[in-house]
Amino acid sequence: MDTLYNVAQGLGVALLPINLLYCFIGVFIGTLVGVLPGIGPISAMSLLLPVTLSGTPESGIIMMAGIYYGSMYGGSTTAILVNIPGEAASVVTCIDGHQMAKQGRAGPALGMAALGSFIAGTFALVALMLIAPSLASVAIAFGPAEYFSLMVLGLVVLTFLTQGSMAKALLMACIGIVLGLIGLDSITAQPRLTFGRLELIDGIGLVPVVMGLFGIAEVLINTEQVIKRDVINARITQLLPSKADWKASAGPVARGTVLGFLLGILPGGGAVISSFASYALEKRLSRTPERFGHGAIEGVAGPEAANNAAAGGAFIPLMTLGIPPNVVMALLLGAFVIHGLQPGPLMITQNPGLFWGIVASMYIGNLMLLVLNLPLIGMWVQLLKLPYNVLFPLIILFTIIGVYCSSNNVFDVYVMIAFGVIGYFMRKLGYEPAPLVLAFVLGPMLENNLRKSLILSQGDLTTFVQRPISAVCLALAVALLVAPLLPALRKKREIVALDEGV
Amino acid sequence: MNDPENVKLRLNNSELWGGLIGLALGVFVVWSGLKLKLGTINDPGSGYVLFYTGILMCAFAATIIIGAITEGSPTFAARWKDARWTKPLVIIAGLTVFSLALDRLGFLLSTIPLMLLLLRAIDPVRWSLAIPIALLSPLGVWWVLKRLLLIQLPSGIFEIG
Repeated sequence: MDTLYNVAQGLGVALLPINLLYCFIGVFIGTLVGVLPGIGPISAMSLLLPVTLSGTPESGIIMMAGIYYGSMYGGSTTAILVNIPGEAASVVTCIDGHQMAKQGRAGPALGMAALGSFIAGTFALVALMLIAPSLASVAIAFGPAEYFSLMVLGLVVLTFLTQGSMAKALLMACIGIVLGLIGLDSITAQPRLTFGRLELIDGIGLVPVVMGLFGIAEVLINTEQVIKRDVINARITQLLPSKADWKASAGPVARGTVLGFLLGILPGGGAVISSFASYALEKRLSRTPERFGHGAIEGVAGPEAANNAAAGGAFIPLMTLGIPPNVVMALLLGAFVIHGLQPGPLMITQNPGLFWGIVASMYIGNLMLLVLNLPLIGMWVQLLKLPYNVLFPLIILFTIIGVYCSSNNVFDVYVMIAFGVIGYFMRKLGYEPAPLVLAFVLGPMLENNLRKSLILSQGDLTTFVQRPISAVCLALAVALLVAPLLPALRKKREIVALDEGV
Repeated sequence: MNDPENVKLRLNNSELWGGLIGLALGVFVVWSGLKLKLGTINDPGSGYVLFYTGILMCAFAATIIIGAITEGSPTFAARWKDARWTKPLVIIAGLTVFSLALDRLGFLLSTIPLMLLLLRAIDPVRWSLAIPIALLSPLGVWWVLKRLLLIQLPSGIFEIG
């Protein structure tokens, strides 16, 4: 009954005209960046982070969330029609989706991707509504030791799943922590690593760092290659899948939804890994695995459901514990903090309108996405023909404007450009920026909780292993750190390693 | 057979340089932590976390360096093989000049040339299209921000914009 009351309250917030508008803008931009290869949800969200300042917290967060789950829908369009993943989570959809398009079945592939995404998104929201409040009530009992260990686990999982060398990913995470500690010490008010610059007293802003690492660096990397696109030009008809398609896809959608949701909750997990996991699962369960890679609709339905369910599941650790499980959620946390809000166990009880409003808006957003991605598919196909040599300069212009407007400070523009250049060289040398950004956001919280734990326990380090939740998290983190040393596990890690850690 | 693109103890070993930069950063962070005072384990000081994070950075950087020397790594040339490296170089140069000019020349006078450079440098847009886009996009943004949203943009020494 409480849940129904809360949902009604959330709908009241989400259905406000201004929030509907922000939700639409969010899912529209999400689909747009999902469709356009080269620009992912992280770049788009970092670009629009300053925009959230202008409205209420609900409106800003609703829009940012819309970009994330909207990009999951949009990414499949490019994957199916152009054989280029619109964003990292759609890599798997290319395999069978594009084959279907080549066989003249682009319509059912796009339709199943959108409908599977909608079903998974809806399930993830219902689960979020049911699980989040219960988990939040448990999380109230968490002390600084539990928070510290959970954050350590989150960082280790992300570094484990990041592409390439784990030592590099861990080095990036450490650099992120150090960058996050720049500015005044929250306990002693002593300036740290400010080099006498007044602009650094408050620390480095999240907006210039992510816009540089993901916006500018992304453009620099993309300009190195000539982007060729082979868009399927045939008219897209019969978007609704047939009875046979539904029969083949029902199982994969259901399994992908549950698998994606569970992987989405885990720190460091997310949409990319869940889509890969779903594809592997479906191929293993199939009686005809040889069809995979040659246009099997199950290869589209499962991963697409999984990445959307994961996008919903990822909200749970952020909303209930205040810990972002991946970079996208770290950006959302940034948006909360900009508005002076701290997500965590108390947010649901102290700000029920905000929490339930966001949840309800996600349901409305999913409905909007269904309309945007099915009847309006032709519009997105046209957009795939947009020239990149015009788009990239405009992205750079908007990143400059976005950073400047977030602080009215030219110094932040310098920081963004510097991080753009650093990000470019990092990627060229195989250093992924995702662990750096997550650690940058978690750094101050990590330090705070570590110092609090040590003060409370009077310097007794065993406090981290005496508390069961903390001990389990640290044990898992240690296991993951040791795992790459074992050859068999190293091979597995290389298979599941991801690109952006989302 | 030696792979010319995968080298061990050579100056063009890209991983080695990445590790050395990480090591230098780690040493700097350790030194900064010490300078800020570590405090005690009962009452950690401002430099406590920095110091230990710096030590971890040195350890990870050392792992990267050892791996680069023992297993070898791609050369810088191999990393940029088949890439149009001049494109990002021109953009980086443009952005550097832009960042130096922004405060002095103001938003409009610095952004219009930057846009023109980007439009012509990435994959040249024809002049008849590049000039209007380079002029209209910063002007449009400036108008929206300054006139509609009342956001002050840098106007520079000439006070234009």
